[in-house]
Amino acid sequence: MRQTYGKALPGMKLPDLAGKLLVLEGTDCAGRTTQIDMLRPWLEQQGHAVLDTGMARSSLAGEGIRRAKEGNNLGRVTQSLFYATDFVDRLENEVIPALRAGFIVLTDRYIYSLMARAIVRGMDPAWIRGIYSAALIPDAVFYLRVDVEQLIPRVIFSRGFDYWESGMDVFPGQDMYESFRSYQAALLAEFDKLSVEFRFETLDASADAKIVFAQLQVKVQRVLDGDSRREYLRESHSLDREYLHKVFEYAAAATMRRSPDQAVAQPREAMAANHNWATSPMSSHASRQNDGGFLQRK
Amino acid sequence: MDIGGNTGINPRIGPFEVFLPVEGSSPRLRHVGEPGFPGQLFVVEGIDGSGKSTQLSLLHKWLESKGYGVVFSQWNSSELVKDTTKLGKKKKMLTPATFSLIHATDFADRIERNILPLLKAGAVVLCDRYIYTAFARDVARGMDRRWVRDLYGFAAKPTVAFYFRVPLETAIGRLVTGRDGFKFYEAGLDIGLSDDPTESFRLFQGRIVDEYEKMIPEFGLTVIDATLPVEVQQAQVRQIVQTHLDRARNLRVRP
Repeated sequence: MRQTYGKALPGMKLPDLAGKLLVLEGTDCAGRTTQIDMLRPWLEQQGHAVLDTGMARSSLAGEGIRRAKEGNNLGRVTQSLFYATDFVDRLENEVIPALRAGFIVLTDRYIYSLMARAIVRGMDPAWIRGIYSAALIPDAVFYLRVDVEQLIPRVIFSRGFDYWESGMDVFPGQDMYESFRSYQAALLAEFDKLSVEFRFETLDASADAKIVFAQLQVKVQRVLDGDSRREYLRESHSLDREYLHKVFEYAAAATMRRSPDQAVAQPREAMAANHNWATSPMSSHASRQNDGGFLQRK
Repeated sequence: MDIGGNTGINPRIGPFEVFLPVEGSSPRLRHVGEPGFPGQLFVVEGIDGSGKSTQLSLLHKWLESKGYGVVFSQWNSSELVKDTTKLGKKKKMLTPATFSLIHATDFADRIERNILPLLKAGAVVLCDRYIYTAFARDVARGMDRRWVRDLYGFAAKPTVAFYFRVPLETAIGRLVTGRDGFKFYEAGLDIGLSDDPTESFRLFQGRIVDEYEKMIPEFGLTVIDATLPVEVQQAQVRQIVQTHLDRARNLRVRP
């Protein structure tokens, strides 16, 4: 059964959470987004329903955090708690419902990044851990590790130094370059500590993205092979309308969150095609029931 | 950096203790271990309709008239956070956990930007509701008692926390005549105690009162009988506040 690090939040209903929770962790510019963008279609190809989520994307606090970061008065405790609010909103309203519906949830960063950032900003590790003790223990944490020296060219030649990524609020006396080095080095040190404690699967992310992806595929496959639902997904005749409907609802909601404009314009039929139902074991089951119309149902 | 939490002893900071409800669990804030805060912090607590805001406002006027530099801070008023809270309440998006966290975020902003710097500067700070409100409400919503207390580990311990104790029916009587209907979260309608707002409010506030009663010995709240006439209550409050101000040095004078 799925567990949390500490006491579960009210209404979590842990035994229902059948899906898989996979975490990608790493410092800024470690290539997490690139990897998730490759992992998602690959998993969908295999017939898995996938939800991806990441920091400051909650409908509750995402906008508030963005606005707060534009100003010059976001304190360290406030910042840590604002992110915790965002995290728990996504946990309760995205991750848990998706796991309940049997999704694979890919999360771009998890509590570890949030804890590392808070600790580097001088928060007591015990305090921040206590807050995140309500988080679900994931099935795997893949840690994309890149040294500071290798990060710098990535930053320079992509989007340049950013105030928060450079930790200018932590090292205000330094210029952005110096601050970036100090801040990212401090984060790395914190990540390395967490990686032992929370048993991250570390990948050398300084390699080419395709090589990292190949390694990641092997590791993800290993997690999924240990999935007790595998047989169920292939064989079960109880894969009913209700289940498929749920899967669709969440996929639609997730797509809306990622790119609202696109999703509105995208009819449900097109989304069905995107999700590669034709190649998935679930769709063959659906067609056996001669229920092609279900997928087009409004 | 030395953190008091590791020693298991509450570090004394001037008239304040940094608030450490649980051993070894407080954010490593910079103010810990720094020389004393000369300011004084008075907070009022109690259910809606207990009359605490009236009492605080009378205290505020009195302190100002005596020449103290007084600053007032209200629960749930951070400029940085209030839009998010408003959104969550309006769209009924808040769960017990996010309700708790967004209020802690609001409080953190006021503590960091407002309350602590003012206390360091020697002001008299008055708070309408403080961490005890969060403890009572969040636990009434089913959050873990210890988790919520740990969450607020960064707060400064008040000089005096007044609890205005009033029977539930008296408070509800005051409210029903004073306004029309209860709001969704105020009545605890989010946790489904009852579909009827007034009944839900009654049940929810009852739970909150139970939590307050438990906190009186736990945190040494100063109980004021809120069924007494306003003037009598105010006289008691002023007397208690006066004894603390007499002892305090370096308080700011109003310019």
